Amino acid sequence: MSKTLEKRIFIFVCTVPALILLAIFMIVPTVEVFRMSLYKWGGFSNNKVFVGLDNFKILWGDINFIRSLQNSIVLIVFVTLITMVLAILFATLLTREKMKGNGFFRIIFYIPNILSIVVIAGIFSAVYDPATGLLNNLFALFNLDHLQKMWLGDQKIAIYSIGGALIWQAIGYYMVMYMASIANIPESFYEASALEGAGRIRQFFSITLPLIWNNIRTTLTFFIISTINLSFLLVQAMTGGGPDGATEVFLSYMYKQAYTNSSYGYGMAIGVVIFLFSFALSAIISRITNRDVLEY
Amino acid sequence: MKKQTGMNAEKVYRLFIYVALITLSVSIIVPVAWVFLASVKQNKEFYGSPWAVPEGFYFQNFIDAFQKANMGTYMLNSMMVTALALLILLVVALPAAYVLARYTFRGSKLMNSLFKAGLFINVNYIVVPIFLMLLGGDTFLQDQFGGGFLLDNLFVLAVVYAATALPFTVYLLSSYFQTLPSTYEEAALVDGAGYFKTMIRIMIPMARPSIVAVILFNFLAFWNEYIIALTLIPGPNKTLPVGLMNLMAAQKSAANYGQMYAGMVLVMLPTLILYIIVQKKLTQGMTLGGLKD
Amino acid sequence: MKKKVLLAGMSALLSLSLIACQSNSASNTEDGKDSKKQTLHVAALESAYGKDMWTKVIDAYEEANPNVNVKLTADKNLEEVISPNMKAGNYPDVVLLATGRKLALTETLIKDKALEDITDVFNKNVYGEDVKVKDKLVPGFTDTLATNPYNDGKTYMAPMFYSPTGLFYNAALLKEKGWEVPKTWDEMWALGDKAKAEGISLFTYPTTGYFDAFLYSLLLEAGGSDFYNKAMTYKDGIWESKEATKAFDIVGKLAKYTEPTTVANANDKDYKKNQQLILDNKALFMPNGTWVVGEMKDAPRADGFEWGMTALPAIEDSGDRYAFTFFEQMWIPAQAKNKDAAKDFLTFVYSDKAAAIFAEADAIQPIEGISKNLSGDNQLFYSIYDNGAKAGMGGFAATESVEGVSMADALFRTIDSIVSGDKTVKEWQDAVEKASDKLRAALK
Repeated sequence: MSKTLEKRIFIFVCTVPALILLAIFMIVPTVEVFRMSLYKWGGFSNNKVFVGLDNFKILWGDINFIRSLQNSIVLIVFVTLITMVLAILFATLLTREKMKGNGFFRIIFYIPNILSIVVIAGIFSAVYDPATGLLNNLFALFNLDHLQKMWLGDQKIAIYSIGGALIWQAIGYYMVMYMASIANIPESFYEASALEGAGRIRQFFSITLPLIWNNIRTTLTFFIISTINLSFLLVQAMTGGGPDGATEVFLSYMYKQAYTNSSYGYGMAIGVVIFLFSFALSAIISRITNRDVLEY
Repeated sequence: MKKQTGMNAEKVYRLFIYVALITLSVSIIVPVAWVFLASVKQNKEFYGSPWAVPEGFYFQNFIDAFQKANMGTYMLNSMMVTALALLILLVVALPAAYVLARYTFRGSKLMNSLFKAGLFINVNYIVVPIFLMLLGGDTFLQDQFGGGFLLDNLFVLAVVYAATALPFTVYLLSSYFQTLPSTYEEAALVDGAGYFKTMIRIMIPMARPSIVAVILFNFLAFWNEYIIALTLIPGPNKTLPVGLMNLMAAQKSAANYGQMYAGMVLVMLPTLILYIIVQKKLTQGMTLGGLKD
Repeated sequence: MKKKVLLAGMSALLSLSLIACQSNSASNTEDGKDSKKQTLHVAALESAYGKDMWTKVIDAYEEANPNVNVKLTADKNLEEVISPNMKAGNYPDVVLLATGRKLALTETLIKDKALEDITDVFNKNVYGEDVKVKDKLVPGFTDTLATNPYNDGKTYMAPMFYSPTGLFYNAALLKEKGWEVPKTWDEMWALGDKAKAEGISLFTYPTTGYFDAFLYSLLLEAGGSDFYNKAMTYKDGIWESKEATKAFDIVGKLAKYTEPTTVANANDKDYKKNQQLILDNKALFMPNGTWVVGEMKDAPRADGFEWGMTALPAIEDSGDRYAFTFFEQMWIPAQAKNKDAAKDFLTFVYSDKAAAIFAEADAIQPIEGISKNLSGDNQLFYSIYDNGAKAGMGGFAATESVEGVSMADALFRTIDSIVSGDKTVKEWQDAVEKASDKLRAALK
């Protein structure tokens, strides 16, 4: 057996199983989502009717879809901003300020990330319960009754309550990630700038932030995808989109249309829009966060 | 004098940081610990203040969760699916990642970008088509042989888990393989070891840190997953998180909070134990890939 | 039980189990007579009533009719078991599966006109008895869209187990306070003010889904059954009519009397907390069905708690009062192979023998006089119609699915917003009419 043949066989045997799995369970279903978005189909019967882009036209007039879109965007902006700012802040403090208990805090902050989203849903429905919930009872304990809210019952704040749970679960993960990249910054950089009289804040903006910027950029893209993902899982396990659609996010709306409303094709059209939306958002973010990367 | 106030400001500053850190820690520890406490409370204790300490250790909740709510069976199912999925994943992903990292061949570029594109595919969009595909398969089998086996099958579930974890895993592993020096395998190949032998004996052991990271991340992902399991397993062979969801929205059974929190503990406990054992490795592993889905 | 929504949306997935639970009661290995025996395939949803009653009824039938060999498929997820087979052309002969299930298999068959016309069954004698089926049934049960889905006077589905709904309350509390159960909405409001003074809310609801029966009854009270059928078939402008406005306004007013934490818990996971409000004397009334008693049986409750159930209060002093009833339907697929045998079996389920077996499992059929044989809470619930309340039946007419439009969302889910004050009654009403317009075009 010649060496090249052996090599070919080797490459073939190594890659083909992975390719087959990828093709069957990821590529084909993805293509199906796009294809079915052009059909009117209940999901189970045999009559699929090709309707072209009709499903997409209906979308723009569907206020429930617009509402789920708004909710998703609110979540993405709100959760991303707060998580990122807090994660970077805490990472900087823990790494740069040499705080005691650094390791302990790191362990604790990471815990929410290892919990199942179903468990998180359970925890937060115990936290948010209006009568016996931890949050409202905490306020009562400190005589802050005016801060008590119907966390999941008030439509104006329900989506932020969902956001709160998402921040709670994400913050530790990103913090640990940024801690690692801050720890990689050579100490000499800080020493040099300290000699020039730069304070903490100057150092943060002129050294820390620029040097971990690349890491932030990559995580940001994936953070958005993961927020879209997790917000759906959480809403599904927690509120089912209620009250009256106040916490409906676009993936949960897609499920609702595809199943409950027997509009499978329409559901898939929503899927396509979310798909394109998250791609576009990632592209835009990577565009506007593009800076000259500082190397060290 | 001036230095004094400087020191004081410094102290206040550090104090402030501690307060912030402790607040965040408390907000994480308290709800989680509360669930543990709630899991040993009796049903009637849930109607008082949520801050009350359990009156006793009511272990019956766990027994009920295991027996009445079937959580024991679900736990076994979860263990089986998780282990199986990890096994399939490693067997499939390791060789692929290695080859993609080390060899250029016709189509290797395309293959690389396919896996990279896979990183952007959100499993939640494609659960439904996967389900319909399996349903179609079953209908076909039903016609031909009078019985299908694709849905309601824990093995198929494990395969789907493995497949959907492939892009991330291959990405992580192959970027690790790229950092390894190629001198060892060149030497092995020169010595006449075959490609397979080189890979299995030399390269894969060297990739251990990344393999550990892959196992940890995917263990958490598979163990905690519920949307795919809920969709592909409509029958009684549920996994633990799905069983827990059932317990939370338990219809027609009486309001039983203790049992529900016991269920939550059962889902959390294995991951928490694992985390405490390997937390260093886990947080190190993160920087290997730098991302997750 | 229609409220037993399984899991958040997801469970709406069709699938199949590998082995259909089959219990083959008769052995096939007797002598040559087997070839003459007809095999009848019965498929029944295994609901809260359990599966035993089906096995027993089938045993009884096989005993009464030795020419038939019944094959039973009973499953909690019946759709998932039978529909792959149906796609493959293997139809069961008789199916017990209600409308209003998440998977909506029955609705799909209605839409595809794939049900057998069974109008003639009601003129036949009950198997083994000398009474016609229609003479045993409680009148009214075969006159609505729930049995005659095309509104053409032909019956396609037989009414089986029913379960009345109404307002549930703590009878002991009302007695203790000396409050009367309100007979009109005006009395209701008066009671609401009295209760408020004592720190008790007038009303709560588990989830907005429970408003279906409530609103159906209210619409019947407001406009009678003609009006109701028009509303259910999406007649133009019907939701803007005077009658509909009355119903909308009542819910709008009720919203102001609703316990304030209700909305926060009105989801599939926390709805029991709202039901608990009744047990804890924090709210007086909630719309619910007979299953709630079992659902809350282990929950702690106020001392001396005693379930009460009443029909909706009347709108005017001498107006009609309605209590809507859900019922499960039994039907024959148009593609069934043994339709005649299926029809015979359909008459048998109304026999005294079968009814007694069903009733033992608390599955009550709309057979005259059946409530007399019941015990405990059930007697109270099922005798609700003996006290002058009318039975409301039948839901919305079948339509094609319309992308992005759901009557349930428009009509029921919005009530959360009415209670929380995020939407006005007028906005709600307009949205319902708009949804109705869109669905009308998709009527089958």
